[in-house]
Amino acid sequence: MKDPITPEVFAHLVDLAALELEPTQAEYLRLQLNHQLKAIQELESIPLESNVEISAHGVPYTAEISPAPREDIWKPYPEPADIIKQAPATDEGYIVVPEIPHITLK
Amino acid sequence: MTEYEAIIGLETHIQLNTTTKIFCSCKADSWFDPPNTNICPVCTGLPGALPTLNKAVVEKAVLLAKAMHANLLPLSYFARKNYFYPDLPKGYQISQYDKPIAVGGFLDMPMNPANGQSYIRHITIDNMHLEEDAGKTRNEPGRRLIDFNRCGVPLIEMVTGPDLRSADEAAQYLIRLRQLLRWLGISEADMEKAHLRCDANVSIRPKGASHLNPKTEIKNVNSIDAVKEAIGKEIERQTNEMEAGHKIETWTLEWDEDAGVLRKMRSKETEADYRYFREPDLLAIRMTDEWRNAILEGFPELPLERRARFIEDYGLPEYDAEILTGERSLSDYFETTVKTYKGDPKRVSNWIMNDILRMVNEAGKPAYELKLTPAFLAEIIQLVDSGTINTSTGKNLLGKVETSGRAPSKIVEEEGLAKVSDDSAIREVCAKIMAASPNETASYKAGKVTLIGWFVGQVMKEMRGKADPQIARKIMEEMLSQ
Amino acid sequence: MTMNPCDQSAVELSKLLRRKEISAVEILESALERIDQVDGRPGTLNPGAITDADKQKVHSFITLTAERARAQAKEVDRKLKAGEDPGALAGIPLTVKDIFVLKGTPSTAASKILANFISPYTATPVSRLEAAGAVTLGKVNLDEFTYGSSNESSAFQPSPRNPWDTHTVPGGSSGGSAASVAAGEAVLSLGTDTAGSIRQPAAFCGVVGVKPTYGRVSRYGLIAFASSLDCPGPVARSVEDAALMLKVMAGADPSDDTAANIPVPDYLAELEKGVKGLRIGLSPDYFRITYPDPTSGELLMQAISPEIEASVRRAASLLKEMGAEIIEDVPMPNTRYGIPAYFVISRVEAASNLHRYDGVKYGFRTPEPTHELRDLYKKTRAQGFGPQPKLRILMGMYVSAAQYSEQYYNRALKVRTLIRRDFDTVFDKNGAYRLDALLTPTTPTTAFEMGAVYGDSVLMQYADQLTVPANHAGIPGLSLPAGLDSKRLPIGIQLLGADFSESVLFRIGRAFEQATETDAWRKEKPGVLAS
Repeated sequence: MKDPITPEVFAHLVDLAALELEPTQAEYLRLQLNHQLKAIQELESIPLESNVEISAHGVPYTAEISPAPREDIWKPYPEPADIIKQAPATDEGYIVVPEIPHITLK
Repeated sequence: MTEYEAIIGLETHIQLNTTTKIFCSCKADSWFDPPNTNICPVCTGLPGALPTLNKAVVEKAVLLAKAMHANLLPLSYFARKNYFYPDLPKGYQISQYDKPIAVGGFLDMPMNPANGQSYIRHITIDNMHLEEDAGKTRNEPGRRLIDFNRCGVPLIEMVTGPDLRSADEAAQYLIRLRQLLRWLGISEADMEKAHLRCDANVSIRPKGASHLNPKTEIKNVNSIDAVKEAIGKEIERQTNEMEAGHKIETWTLEWDEDAGVLRKMRSKETEADYRYFREPDLLAIRMTDEWRNAILEGFPELPLERRARFIEDYGLPEYDAEILTGERSLSDYFETTVKTYKGDPKRVSNWIMNDILRMVNEAGKPAYELKLTPAFLAEIIQLVDSGTINTSTGKNLLGKVETSGRAPSKIVEEEGLAKVSDDSAIREVCAKIMAASPNETASYKAGKVTLIGWFVGQVMKEMRGKADPQIARKIMEEMLSQ
Repeated sequence: MTMNPCDQSAVELSKLLRRKEISAVEILESALERIDQVDGRPGTLNPGAITDADKQKVHSFITLTAERARAQAKEVDRKLKAGEDPGALAGIPLTVKDIFVLKGTPSTAASKILANFISPYTATPVSRLEAAGAVTLGKVNLDEFTYGSSNESSAFQPSPRNPWDTHTVPGGSSGGSAASVAAGEAVLSLGTDTAGSIRQPAAFCGVVGVKPTYGRVSRYGLIAFASSLDCPGPVARSVEDAALMLKVMAGADPSDDTAANIPVPDYLAELEKGVKGLRIGLSPDYFRITYPDPTSGELLMQAISPEIEASVRRAASLLKEMGAEIIEDVPMPNTRYGIPAYFVISRVEAASNLHRYDGVKYGFRTPEPTHELRDLYKKTRAQGFGPQPKLRILMGMYVSAAQYSEQYYNRALKVRTLIRRDFDTVFDKNGAYRLDALLTPTTPTTAFEMGAVYGDSVLMQYADQLTVPANHAGIPGLSLPAGLDSKRLPIGIQLLGADFSESVLFRIGRAFEQATETDAWRKEKPGVLAS
């Protein structure tokens, strides 16, 4: 059986995932992915009647047990500076990242 | 040269004017806040933080859905839209996908071109999504600065069908939408502050054709002028391309308002596999009949309906009806005044359009906050109609009532502003003026009859405008001729 | 080694504290002393060689917060002295899986990408435990972002080892939690269970682990793996302690919309009600596992370890003697689909949950120069994530891509529905089975050797086959020790119940403990304590 996740498909996934991989790690991960996919393929053989709905959660969230939506009341977070302090690069309260290139149309 | 028509669909993002953000208790509006000060673990996507849905967001969406004739789904769900961008702290936007809050809907938009036939454009709505806003980024040479204050501000994304046919129609749609949002009180809809944002999908085709050509998406067309200008430019560009025999490519463009140019965005960042899936951190929104009915209690008549009714019921010209329904509080003001006044609605319209509108603009507050209430305005017009005061006294009264908040009739009485048509009172003043002005009297009697205007002016001045000028003139002439 | 305070139960320590026979500081010092004896060096990013000496230690911790704990213990003692209520867990030493954020401490998820993240806020379950007086000793190790069943994938090495035999794994992903409680480093631990991550290590380490009903405990502050499956839960040495801890943690939370709006019962009050009249089922589908051959992909069926099956059957007969009704041959036909469905659902959610780690807002950012943003993302994520997160991200990307999501993701969510139906059928009060609980093994084997499975992501995943159905279905599960196998490694048995039926599971578990109170294995100590 041919591996569904070819090096080309794999390279696309790596790009989508915003990763870059050493060749040896890439090959190990691609092999593992194809192994996992074999396990996953078992799903395709499961007979599913048309009345089977998807379950986003296992527990059915009935109206009775679902919490009411939050009231629209402002509660300021006491220490926003502690959040920004975690950023690797900041300047005058802003978080700093490298630029994102653009092309201007004629 | 082939004649082309434009096919335009608008994707609008409407910022709701809730107190707090959609998924956390930070305040929604941080217009005046320094960067990254109106934030919390939830809206900055800290590890472990979870969203909690703001009830008011759903309520405002229900109002808009009703106004757009859209169908509310009994169960709607949030979904994650996954992509990398530095203003999106979680790496996904919580939005809606296959089960949005409302689907379908339409707006019938009257168009009155400056030179041409009026017509109605039927604009369909695909769906309405609830979602969270992203932060703001600022470009600097070689780097980008990020501010998360806006993250999590509640938005409704409302997408039209490809139903608009010109840049003018697109602009008019935004004007009508802005009017509606303010009317419903669900958004400040200030485009300058990005409360109402717009992306436009534009394609062209030979006039009369029924197929759809590839379209471009223009991002960030965020003012009425920008919509006109950017779409106009893009139609022109596509026309030139097509005329040159080129294919239109499905690009994503960005409108740079300052430079007035379209820029092509890099394809990397527009790669559209968002891998939507249902947001496991939030439950379904259960739109029960009970909740919906409670939200829709007291739902107002809408601006276009009211505009039509003003024309129909009050015989107003379209121009008046348009202005008077421009804003809900003004239109309420007009109608309450008409009902109290009981006379010709056009007369009320004239007073409002000539004077009240100016007062509202100068005061910078809605009409219902004026101390000059509709009842007071009706009273003033009635005082003029009955001849108790003259028109100029009436106009002066507007300001006096607005300043003092006191009833017009009280002011007329206390300040003795009523018109004097009693002959004897006027005769007395005429005699006094003749006695005080022997030279002028002599000149008049010698034949300089043009001096009558001066004499009447003196009478009016002496009587502080209360005299009926017609009667004053008649008496003065009579006495000068004796 | 004599009975130290840290080896006592939380319930017993609470009594001693309230009788002023011991102080919170004394309890704490006993736990710190035990940590000093058995834990060895904590996990770090740059551990150097793992020495033979390392291999004799437990290595539960990533971050030990002894001074913070001392302040908490002193506060408990102050309250006791002042006659104030110090809370239901006053003075009880607690470890917290380092997947929960705790204000002012590193909250790492055992990943390099969060190694330097100091959380500005505290997770709801942790703040509830601390509000009840629990004394937090620190953050314990786990598989990186909980992705594993052995703890070997932690970026912080040496990774935890099984206190019963330090050449075997403690299980995972709550390995540090189970190991720390088994070794008496703590009395209680807070773990998470996404596919068995509390129950499996609890079974491997011979302690009690509870996966509560989904929504029973708030997830606020739990660094998410698979958000529709993750459940915070207690690890303890007795059912009673686990019940006490869950009572404190559970309940609705204004910060978590999925925390169910259901009152929390007084689990302790119902604990001693016994099992008379309860219907407990045994299912053949839990006495075997199916897994694909790693090379051919062909499905193989294998019976679980006979020693484990014997333990389950013995437990059934003991419960029967105490008045429970045992129902054999309960069909749970969709059990075998749990792992394939889990492969899909958990990867899709994990890939999305890991999007936020990009070097912009917190945690690791690549030290290399980057010329544009995308480059920064790629280098940061490539260097910050270990192989397990990368695998999950890539698989999640693959199965949720637009062209595959119907084939895989939606299909998996439908299979979840089928698994749920299995449980609905047998727990139906008006159905053919009317079960109060299912009794099953927790794991197909006892703890495996370090390195034996690691590296094979498929085989590792199949260790969760008997625990993952409860996560799909959302129902509660309880693992409790039921003996030692011939290698003197703990055996765990599992009780599964209907939604929000934790109190029934506790009752059965408690009854089993009483029935086996005098068993010889209960006197045995983990290997690290045997000297």
